[in-house]
Amino acid sequence: EDQRESENVNTELLALRRRLVDEWNAWRARSTKELAEDGGHDHVKEKQSEEDKEEIE
Amino acid sequence: MRPILLQGHERSLTQIKYNRDGDLLFSCSKDHVINVWYTHNGERLGTYDGHNGTVWTVDVDSESMYMVSGSADNQLRLWNVATGKCLYTWEFPTAVKRVAFSEDDKQVVCITEQRMGFQCTIRVFNINRTGDGTKQSKEPAHMFSPVGSKATVCAFTSQPGIIFTGHESGKVALFNYKTGEEVDSNERAHGDVVTDLQMSPDKTYCITSSKDKSARIHDTKTLDVIKTFTTETPLNSAAIAPNKPYVLLGGGQEAMSVTTTSLRQGKFETRFWHKVFEEEVGRVKGHFGPINTIAVHPKGISYASGGEDGFVRVHHFDESYFKTQPYGDLQIED
Repeated sequence: EDQRESENVNTELLALRRRLVDEWNAWRARSTKELAEDGGHDHVKEKQSEEDKEEIE
Repeated sequence: MRPILLQGHERSLTQIKYNRDGDLLFSCSKDHVINVWYTHNGERLGTYDGHNGTVWTVDVDSESMYMVSGSADNQLRLWNVATGKCLYTWEFPTAVKRVAFSEDDKQVVCITEQRMGFQCTIRVFNINRTGDGTKQSKEPAHMFSPVGSKATVCAFTSQPGIIFTGHESGKVALFNYKTGEEVDSNERAHGDVVTDLQMSPDKTYCITSSKDKSARIHDTKTLDVIKTFTTETPLNSAAIAPNKPYVLLGGGQEAMSVTTTSLRQGKFETRFWHKVFEEEVGRVKGHFGPINTIAVHPKGISYASGGEDGFVRVHHFDESYFKTQPYGDLQIED
């Protein structure tokens, strides 16, 4: 019975850790994506201005 | 993991910082000097002499070309890393408590102390990187005084124009440094003084330590508290280990408030916590007094701690540190 109990605890702990890792990874993915998008705007602008320059030339 | 002891400071350490490559470690101290050391063997490369008071803070740019320092002599100094020459000195009415370079090395943010009728002030200087570096503008590009509790720590974030601050009251906040506007704040982030602030490599999150005995990971965009690490001692420093899911915490009771019986080495350990599970995973002994500052090598291969005892200890992680997976093979993003 004790063994079964400790196995249950282990399974619960494992599930908890898996959930914590999933939440962390999801948050990291969101932050990284937002960071890329924020930076991405600048890149788009830069590209546009480069194209503008070419037209002027 | 045999540490390298860096002996050269005569008084307690206030801040230590690796450069971008991790081959150099900068240390500043109450003994008025800044030292730079080779991290692989602990040899002292040089000393930056000139301050006339406790050097509270130091930061180095990404190219290891310029270093900035802030001191109790009310000066912010810009140094040439390689020659040890002081390139420029800014003077203020009160002590400089914190400095930090921006990601592009073109700006420096600094906090000056609230004292003698002067408010705590945050200034951002544009750094002129052309020529020999001696031609800097005397006036800050931006300047403001946070209303309410004074700021103790600050750093640039991943968002343009926004700095993250930690305060005496335990508050953390985001400021638009161009307007001085407080964009967002978490008044209850900590219950006591925020003592350290270190950014993740991409600056999207950071860790703060506090005298309230805890350290916390915050999202630098939303100010959400992501993780909390609660210890049994006031914390002076917290660092994030790259490539491993750990944070390193350091502190300890001041000698004044320690009874002789509890004055044991155990009080002054660097604590390793799992940053996702919020569980302590290990401790490293060493200092004979509180740990004032911790830094981790940018590639995560070593870490260093600076103590109230005047020593800096550099620890190179051994093979087992990289191999061990104490919580199985769950993939954790940095």
